[in-house]
Amino acid sequence: MSASIVQAPVEWARVLELFHWAILAALCAGLVCPLIGCFLLLRRTGFHGVLLPQLGATGVALGFAILPWWIEHVGLGGLTLEQAYADPHAMLNWHIAWAALCTFGGLGWLLVASRRDGRETGRVAAAFAVASAATLLLAQASPYGAEFVAEMLRGEILAVGVHEFETIAAAGGLVLALFALFHRDFLLVSYDREFGLVLGKRAIAFEAVLMAVVGITISVGVMIVGPLVLFGLLVLPPLWARRWARTMGGFYAWSVAYGLASVLLGVWASFALDWPLGAAVVAAGALLGLPGLAWSSRTRASR
Amino acid sequence: MAPLLTLRAAAFGYAGRAVVRGVNLSLEPGDFLGIIGPNGGGKTTLFRGLLGLLPAMEGTLERGTAAFGYVPQREQLDPIYPLSVEEVAQMGAFGRLRGLRTLGRVEREAAREELRRVGMLDRARDQFANLSGGQRQRVLVARALLTHPQVLLLDEPTSGVDRLAQEQVIELLDELRRERGIAILLVSHQLQLVRRAVREVLWVADGRVLRGPAAELLEPQSLDRLYAGKPPESGP
Repeated sequence: MSASIVQAPVEWARVLELFHWAILAALCAGLVCPLIGCFLLLRRTGFHGVLLPQLGATGVALGFAILPWWIEHVGLGGLTLEQAYADPHAMLNWHIAWAALCTFGGLGWLLVASRRDGRETGRVAAAFAVASAATLLLAQASPYGAEFVAEMLRGEILAVGVHEFETIAAAGGLVLALFALFHRDFLLVSYDREFGLVLGKRAIAFEAVLMAVVGITISVGVMIVGPLVLFGLLVLPPLWARRWARTMGGFYAWSVAYGLASVLLGVWASFALDWPLGAAVVAAGALLGLPGLAWSSRTRASR
Repeated sequence: MAPLLTLRAAAFGYAGRAVVRGVNLSLEPGDFLGIIGPNGGGKTTLFRGLLGLLPAMEGTLERGTAAFGYVPQREQLDPIYPLSVEEVAQMGAFGRLRGLRTLGRVEREAAREELRRVGMLDRARDQFANLSGGQRQRVLVARALLTHPQVLLLDEPTSGVDRLAQEQVIELLDELRRERGIAILLVSHQLQLVRRAVREVLWVADGRVLRGPAAELLEPQSLDRLYAGKPPESGP
């Protein structure tokens, strides 16, 4: 292991040559997901950052399970089943559509359920368990699906190519643009909804845009970098950033810094220690939070 | 001068059921009204109706101004948000910002000026969540003032703060009323404080609203009758 670290200069050039699209896609996720995670944490819906990517993964597995029936009865651009499996563009678009259906369906359900009685923790836990089982069972229904979903859940993202990177970059660009346009409104309706209404803001519209931003990030991200990376980048960076941030601007900046650092450290660990890239990114993200935890413990002890 | 707010036989409620009805009210510049009454009597429903968060189900509500400021109960604001005092105050200008427009120098200076007015400028960089209850209340008043209100509505502005802070908040509101001619309505459970501070009260109970001088309606004998569901003997 240590030998591979020593060989780094030569190895890294080769790694970048072979896997730069995967690394760029992970960096894209490292930039966008923490910003979205900030609002999941502040709205005290951080557990959505775990459930929704899992629902997205269920959507991908559902896509595999339903594809043979769909091609036979509805059709997919005139492709046969074998041609569809061999066409990476068609497969990416097909699975993103199913991931989006399940993610947005989950978001809608969470919204309706929370308005009904405000108690959603148990429901989210149950939904996560069911979605996890459904992902594996649905994937099992397709010979191609089982392998793909197993890799996706393990966080193997090195096969990401230029088309996947372009897709996540375009979705990330859209999310960043919406965030830049509406972050003040997201903050206002999340922090003090009634004050926003008195100012004439359409709170429901901004909450819908915020949900759309969450849904886009997760639907696209789950297919390209997998649910594991999304869990880690949506939940951990904002959690660690909250310890240091003294302003909202600082909170966003710390979260993105933690997200990008998690990806860079995760990439290093993945190649140096031969870990799956997705899992390495999450492990790195967890490791980066330790100084903050230690600092908090020390501060508490000194009081 | 035209009234800032006029209600005629107005009713407010939820899901098609009126919680308060028959509300007649005319609000003039410089008015200082307390909204009081037993729990569950309809104070919050009336308050939300006056803010425009609930439409009038019956009767009419006419606004002579769109400039309404709102100060919520500070317990409603989650301390998990890492907001500085200055950032909270600046939210008062968000209603004037559209799209990518950022807070300009003028808006930032206006926020600092309102913080100065409420005596919180020296805490501008502190965490809002770390302030005392009375200090947070002052910051929320500064935020509401940044909306340039002609009517200021406050929900329990003095609950959960010490007596000195209560007096300071009420004194601040009275100064703003006199300096800027702002009409102020506040919901409060603290009857003695309301009696000292405001000239008139709206007594809200059993879905009915009664307006009268604070000194009369909040007399112990009047309160006994009001809580028993009877009109005060010297009623308006």
